[in-house]
Amino acid sequence: MTGNSENILEINSIEVMYDSVISALHDVSLNVPKGKIVALLGGNGAGKSTTLKAISTMLAAERGKVTKGSINYDGIEVKNQSPYEMVALGMVQVLEGRRCFGHLTVEENIIAGAYSRKLSKSQIKDELEKIYGYFNRLRDRRKSQAGFTSGGEQQMIAVARAMMAKPKMLLLDEPSMGLAPQLVAEIFNIVRELNQKEGVSILLAEQNTNVALRNADYGYIIETGHVMLHGTADELLNDEKVKELYLGISQEGRKNFRDVLREEANKKSA
Amino acid sequence: MTEVLFFIEVVVAGLLAGTMYSLVALGFVLIYKASSTFNFAQGAMVFFAVLAFVGFMELGLPFSLAFVVTVLLMVLVGFCTERMVLNPLMNQSEDTLLMATIGLGFVLEGLAQAAWGVEVRRLDLGIGDFPIEWIIDVFGLFVSALDLTAGIVAAVLIIGLALIFKYTRMGLGLRAVADDPGAASSIGIPLKNIMLLVWSAAGVVALVAGMMWGARAGVQFALVDLALKALPVLIIGGFSSIPGAIIGGLIIGATEKVLEVYLGPFFGGAIEGWAPYVLAIFFLLYRPEGLFGEKIIRRV
Repeated sequence: MTGNSENILEINSIEVMYDSVISALHDVSLNVPKGKIVALLGGNGAGKSTTLKAISTMLAAERGKVTKGSINYDGIEVKNQSPYEMVALGMVQVLEGRRCFGHLTVEENIIAGAYSRKLSKSQIKDELEKIYGYFNRLRDRRKSQAGFTSGGEQQMIAVARAMMAKPKMLLLDEPSMGLAPQLVAEIFNIVRELNQKEGVSILLAEQNTNVALRNADYGYIIETGHVMLHGTADELLNDEKVKELYLGISQEGRKNFRDVLREEANKKSA
Repeated sequence: MTEVLFFIEVVVAGLLAGTMYSLVALGFVLIYKASSTFNFAQGAMVFFAVLAFVGFMELGLPFSLAFVVTVLLMVLVGFCTERMVLNPLMNQSEDTLLMATIGLGFVLEGLAQAAWGVEVRRLDLGIGDFPIEWIIDVFGLFVSALDLTAGIVAAVLIIGLALIFKYTRMGLGLRAVADDPGAASSIGIPLKNIMLLVWSAAGVVALVAGMMWGARAGVQFALVDLALKALPVLIIGGFSSIPGAIIGGLIIGATEKVLEVYLGPFFGGAIEGWAPYVLAIFFLLYRPEGLFGEKIIRRV
């Protein structure tokens, strides 16, 4: 699969260790085709965030390191670059938990996203207008302190801020976290719009499998640092195992995880 | 009536002296916000800066040139600190960084004394430590010219820094880093450059504070301890708050003078040196996050 110019991102069986001892990823491979949305799915501690941070080189800040395998972004081998260099190359990560600058106004937050581009005042104004076109809600709140805005607004700020860096590729870490369903839908609509109109490729980590797959083109499911399953979004949405374990739907009606495990155990003993 | 006037005089002198504490505390806050480290080398920086300034003057440089050269030197110190101490230790624990700043302090003290010698120097800024006549005439108050100058200089610097932070690109970057270094780095704000800015600003602040204190008490090693009075200021104001540093400095300045004048005699005088720490202990007991602090102080 290597050397395929159709993919903006290619990860070949990477292993990640924290503090040189704790292994977080064992063998993760995935591709993100140019201009597509790829979902990285899995529960808590599956290794979604670690994968994203390995790509954006934010791992180093947490004393993590890619110990095996390779990451290729847009024809460049990702190795010892700083997050600053990755942003300059067009790769921006929206961190888990939104991480807005609470003491800055909404607008200052968004402008901070353009820091690496060294724009003039009028260029910043034009870019801001463009961004507010996607995030209408933020325009009304531009003068508010970001720390006092709602969770949904903060998620929008985080994405808007990242878009100000003019990324070719966006890494989104759990944009749906702690948000009401209609807000999640609103945010995913914006993300899809950004993907289509700005042509930005997106890799998004999500626990909300349903919403993620409905908005993505392709999906990977990881558990305890391994890729368990991958396929197009439609394939995964219709996969029986995914339905049972991640979507909570099965042919015999709703089930919980314990039932599934019990059934598996029964099958094994039988 | 004279009692009241005298009290006002004491408070005013305290507030003016307090602006200098505010300024030094501001240097601490900047570094604390950008790197989550309490910079124990700040006192040494004050000593290093003013000793270099006096040294350059002794070499025959005029006042303004000596000032500019020392500012450049402090920027260089900031640069070296970032490259040789902070950057290699990036992502290490806060304790490691704290130890590094203590070490840096000793290095700066040693370097300053190796370069310029250990004797106490006089620094004449051309401003005497005597009351200003027109203030006596108009308000009937005795206010020292040196105190007033120090107060004005500190206020101008604080306002200047505040404007830089509010309206420049670098300032925006700095505030972003101060709020959340991880998020700032995720959108491509280079922490290195921001650190350099912060250490340079702290260096300039150290120089100005050193000049004002040096003019009064002589340029000597004791300035290191004087600068550490920013510690109670920060405990009162809160480690991460710029307004906290300013107001904390004023509170410390005013209370230490008032306590010195009214309670000092019962303790045999010279309680200025430790009274602020007692005040700080009360704050630690009853309001550990300080007046404006955002979170409980876990560090230091």
